[in-house]
Amino acid sequence: MKNKSSYLFIFFTLILVSCNNTPNIQDSMLDSGKVSYAIPDSLHKHLVSEYMSNPTPSQLDTPVIIAAHGYTATTFEWDELRDFANSKRLFYVSQVLLGGHGRSYADFKAANWQDWQSSIKDEYIKLSNLGFKNIYLAGSSTGAPLILNLIKTGFFNDYTIPKGIFLVDPIIVSSNKTLTLVGLLGPVLGYTTVELSQGEQGRWYVYRPQETLKQLMELINLTRSNLEKGIKLPTGTYMKVYKSQIDEVADPISAVLIYKGMKTSAGGFIDVEMVKSKLHVFTRLRGREGVTVDDINLQQKTFLDMQARMNP
Amino acid sequence: MCFVHLDAQDSNSDELGVGLRFQKTEQLYWENGVGIDYTSSFLLKKHIHLKMSYFTSGLGSAMFENALLQDNFVVGFDWRFRPQKNLNFFVGLNTGFFNVDLINATFNSLPQNSMLFSAETGFFYKFKFPLATSLSVGYNFINGNGIDRPGTLFPVYYQLSVFYYIK
Repeated sequence: MKNKSSYLFIFFTLILVSCNNTPNIQDSMLDSGKVSYAIPDSLHKHLVSEYMSNPTPSQLDTPVIIAAHGYTATTFEWDELRDFANSKRLFYVSQVLLGGHGRSYADFKAANWQDWQSSIKDEYIKLSNLGFKNIYLAGSSTGAPLILNLIKTGFFNDYTIPKGIFLVDPIIVSSNKTLTLVGLLGPVLGYTTVELSQGEQGRWYVYRPQETLKQLMELINLTRSNLEKGIKLPTGTYMKVYKSQIDEVADPISAVLIYKGMKTSAGGFIDVEMVKSKLHVFTRLRGREGVTVDDINLQQKTFLDMQARMNP
Repeated sequence: MCFVHLDAQDSNSDELGVGLRFQKTEQLYWENGVGIDYTSSFLLKKHIHLKMSYFTSGLGSAMFENALLQDNFVVGFDWRFRPQKNLNFFVGLNTGFFNVDLINATFNSLPQNSMLFSAETGFFYKFKFPLATSLSVGYNFINGNGIDRPGTLFPVYYQLSVFYYIK
């Protein structure tokens, strides 16, 4: 084979290998679709609108947080807040499963960020229609820009206005700046892979199709742009951002961008707390390895702070 | 706009241009400012151009919106492949200093400064009158990582410069 032909052969082989769109999915992985979080039993267990479909007047007065997880995660990400709420009996936690998440690789690949957001909207509408008076939202990582987008588009104007919004390690800028090039590199990558600890297996997707990475980039870029133009909270809605000072997933500067772009209805600044942590979504410790006492104390302090703001 | 003196026909003379620089970072801000371009026959027969620039989001995305205010001071050099021709292809290396204003003491724990180091390539065109323009794409080898470098330091940027040659 001539040299030129050899180079061309190697080049096209590399492209074909790089464009491999069929990851090696094992049955134990969430990606397989055999450990779905989207089955009715799971949804009934996690959504307040499902397991409290005929609320009493007392229940309608109790604060309820709609908790939205991050990219590739599941409702598992907010299990510890729910356990905390169950132990304190001062608020409820409704854990929404984002569209396309917790199902299968194919479902994930086919969903766009509006699909991810749809389950937050659905649960909000149901709780508002049921008559819950004190609705809050919590968004971790990608859950945060999904909620910020709802504020920007005026979604809440047609329903009970949320009392407050808590954002934990919101992502507006990715720490890995290669994500900004996903439009160019995506088709070559096909998908990326993430290492999970034993306790995380079956609860996060292992494979990230480039189509979903593009959706993530589109969402965070839109949110950054909207923040530059300015986003105003509905009248009476409180907001607080909790952000790890070191975060290899959601760049900590995301908190600065939210602080600069968000305003209360009166034109004031929102609350931001930069916490001493190196964990991404520091409120989720279950399934992690090497959790320290400081991590546990910070998680409990944050949950108590959220509770105090809902039950002043 | 950068101002440059066009003496393309006189290979022994110095060339000094000053002008404006317009930069768009991929998935981030417009940052605009000023720049200088200098070459001389002793710089390998004008194959090498020395340059210096200052550009800021204050003259771009942060001028009318809530973008963060960030400043870049850059020095570097280009290799021009056809220094005597009006249309040139070039490659270059830059280094410098980056600073972002994080607004509030709440964010004092975050990195605000960084060294810059980038590679750039593009086209440079000299008009018959003392103006020149360049269009290039660059890659920042140092960019934000969520740990110890400013988060709004992104890798890829596109740059347009316009020079007026004063010498």
